[in-house]
Amino acid sequence: MIHAKSGDDYFLQQIVATAFTGTVHSVFKHALNIRSDGNDEIFTLATKAMDRAPNTLVIDLDTLDHLYINQQDRVSVRDNQLLIEEKLQIAIHTATRWQCQLPIYPADRTSLKMNMIRVKQFIDLHGKGGGIKRNDLPVSEFEAETSRLLQQRTTLLYEEILNQRLDCFQTYATDLVGLGPGLTPSGDDFLVGLFAIIHLENSPCSMYKPLCESVIKMMQPLTNEISFTTLKKAAHGQVRESICSFIHAILYGTEVESIEALRRVLAIGSSSGTDIALGLISGLEANIVLGG
Amino acid sequence: MSIKVVIKRNTYFDSVSLMSLSTKANQIEGVEQAIIGMGTEMNKGVIRNVGLMTPEVEEATAGDLMIIVKTTSADQTESAYLAVEELLTNKDKAQAKSDIKYATIDSAAQGIPDANFAVISVNGAFAVREARKALENDLHVMLFSDNVSVEDEVELKTLAHEKGLLMMGPDCGTAIIGNTGLCFANAVRKGNIGIVAASGTGSQEVSVRIHDFGGGITQLIGTGGRDLSKEVGGMMMLDGIKALDADEATKVIVLVSKPPEASVEKKVLAQIKECSKPVVVYFIGGNEEAVVAAGGQFAKTSKEAALKAVLLAGIDEAGINKRALNIPLVEEVRAKLAPEQKYIRGLFCGGTLCDESMYLAMEKLDNIYSNIQKNPDFLLKDINVSQEHTFIDFGDDDFTNGKPHPMIDPSSRIERFLQEAKDPTVGVIVMDFVLGFGSHEDPVGVMLPAIIEAKQLAEKEGRHLEIIGYVLGTDLDTPNIDEQVTKLVNAGVTHASSSTNAGLLAREMVLKGENHE
Repeated sequence: MIHAKSGDDYFLQQIVATAFTGTVHSVFKHALNIRSDGNDEIFTLATKAMDRAPNTLVIDLDTLDHLYINQQDRVSVRDNQLLIEEKLQIAIHTATRWQCQLPIYPADRTSLKMNMIRVKQFIDLHGKGGGIKRNDLPVSEFEAETSRLLQQRTTLLYEEILNQRLDCFQTYATDLVGLGPGLTPSGDDFLVGLFAIIHLENSPCSMYKPLCESVIKMMQPLTNEISFTTLKKAAHGQVRESICSFIHAILYGTEVESIEALRRVLAIGSSSGTDIALGLISGLEANIVLGG
Repeated sequence: MSIKVVIKRNTYFDSVSLMSLSTKANQIEGVEQAIIGMGTEMNKGVIRNVGLMTPEVEEATAGDLMIIVKTTSADQTESAYLAVEELLTNKDKAQAKSDIKYATIDSAAQGIPDANFAVISVNGAFAVREARKALENDLHVMLFSDNVSVEDEVELKTLAHEKGLLMMGPDCGTAIIGNTGLCFANAVRKGNIGIVAASGTGSQEVSVRIHDFGGGITQLIGTGGRDLSKEVGGMMMLDGIKALDADEATKVIVLVSKPPEASVEKKVLAQIKECSKPVVVYFIGGNEEAVVAAGGQFAKTSKEAALKAVLLAGIDEAGINKRALNIPLVEEVRAKLAPEQKYIRGLFCGGTLCDESMYLAMEKLDNIYSNIQKNPDFLLKDINVSQEHTFIDFGDDDFTNGKPHPMIDPSSRIERFLQEAKDPTVGVIVMDFVLGFGSHEDPVGVMLPAIIEAKQLAEKEGRHLEIIGYVLGTDLDTPNIDEQVTKLVNAGVTHASSSTNAGLLAREMVLKGENHE
């Protein structure tokens, strides 16, 4: 029996309040995804190396290797335990509840402006290329072309926000979905960061909040289900813990705290962390310009 | 041009694997371009832009994995694709390699009846129980875990001693047993020198220098950092010396540690007297007279310890490159440093490497501060703020709480490095880069952008900033030591050829006036 360490409030509600059943959608070393029979939504079981996140239950395991869990294995809930066939039993009652709480955008932007300079330098130095951050020597023509399109489309979206125009926001945002390498394409990752900033309370970009929530339906067929789930949650202001902590640190913390939190974001996936960070920076820069 | 496309339906790889596989696939001989990615509409659009669209690609959906291989000639396509497939398959095989996994020490001991050694790295709360089980199953133990009480350590070591087994640790991070490096260790030549060490990076440094001087290692036995305390009484070091004395392949023994507690030192020296083989003693900052009186060979530095050991082991002195200090370089740097650039800042991943540089500096300089200073007057008041000459061990608990050890992730010192580099009173920054099993795959690479930034900043401000880098490793280590050193040198860093030389160079470069060597 494995114990759940913490769980996203919504996921725990689904497990407890509904007769939750599903099938295994995909399996990785540190996470596995489950598709709910009830609403086709994707939920994640993550090992303790991962941070807390929307739709995610963090369990007390180091790895999912050697459990021999396969795609299409059945998932059910019985006696407060989440079961994957006979292969994994997880006690739910031990999970502490978690919900993403984004910080409030501050009236005093002194810390933010100071931290931004250092954070941007750090991303320049340590961010991973291959997605939005272009590699000096792309490994292929495909990579070079992808980076070019990502640059072009993220710039268009940023300028649209700066000009406070609403008409093309959805088109430019949609053009990014599914674009880029990795399991969660770079364009999706960028939008996750940007959407999170748009959802900050008192955010000068908050006029785009309803657009995020409406555009998400158009995005579903454009990317895979795993990435879409993350994007959908971000479109409603729900992001993983490390992103939330970074936003808090850059808005209210010191330079050192901001960099420390940034490192955890950059560590996400391969180039995903860098792409998310660039989305966050883009949103924050727009906030500074629009909000003064 | 020839293109092969395979679409794998509903197939998901994590991003790290996908991008790494994609990079490797593009390096396969004959491959002009390879794409391994998800079949989203936008990615298909890019594929169209680069002229690789095919009907199969058109059919791919966002949940499918696309593999596209383009080669210059048709006869290469199939073999190139098979090589890409092999990359994907090997990724799975690599994961399956350690398929035999045991949930308990007991079941592992039953499952592998020939095993005689257990490496244990679990939470400290469970470490004692697991180590005891291993000893009860007649397994020698290397216990990497820390947070074990001294009482438990004594109990485990007593049990091991009674059973004639090694109990290496707790908190033992380095060993080489039967030519196999365990936890943090370097790839060194097999030879006739045995090491018993209570210091991780200290023993790594001595083993690497022995290799560099043409010698080799039989066994490197770690004891754990607390073994030479009064409470533990040096049980493992004493048993280690006896084991190497009895080992036919070992001709010379080297002991590496900080100075033991006085009563323990007596026991160790008594053991040296009884030993039938020459023993070189490198107790950092230790007492030469007592060692010599016991019949041991005293070494003041790690380099001296290695040199004495290889000479005793029969290596021809004439053939050894002793890597003398570059005195003209020292003079050159002194001339470049402004009068206010008086201080050294040592930023180390290895605790003993930090200690060695610090002790060398203390011989000629005053006011040496550190987070690991023995003298409480010179302990840093705030570990995040340097004072005069400062030597930081980033592997100390102060810095590693909840974070990976800097040997695993040296980037943890980047911030501090940039902070020190901005200080106009700093003349020399000295750093170590540790290669080998368990360490970061490119320790120099992760620091390089910061080094370049610091150099550029100093130049802009009209200062010379001297950065000394020491790469602890051998020509057998991965990554390649020459490549790491070249990266440093190309970035304008002065390469020190040993831990000892790094400490000496730093000290001599900031010395002014009469103290010049």
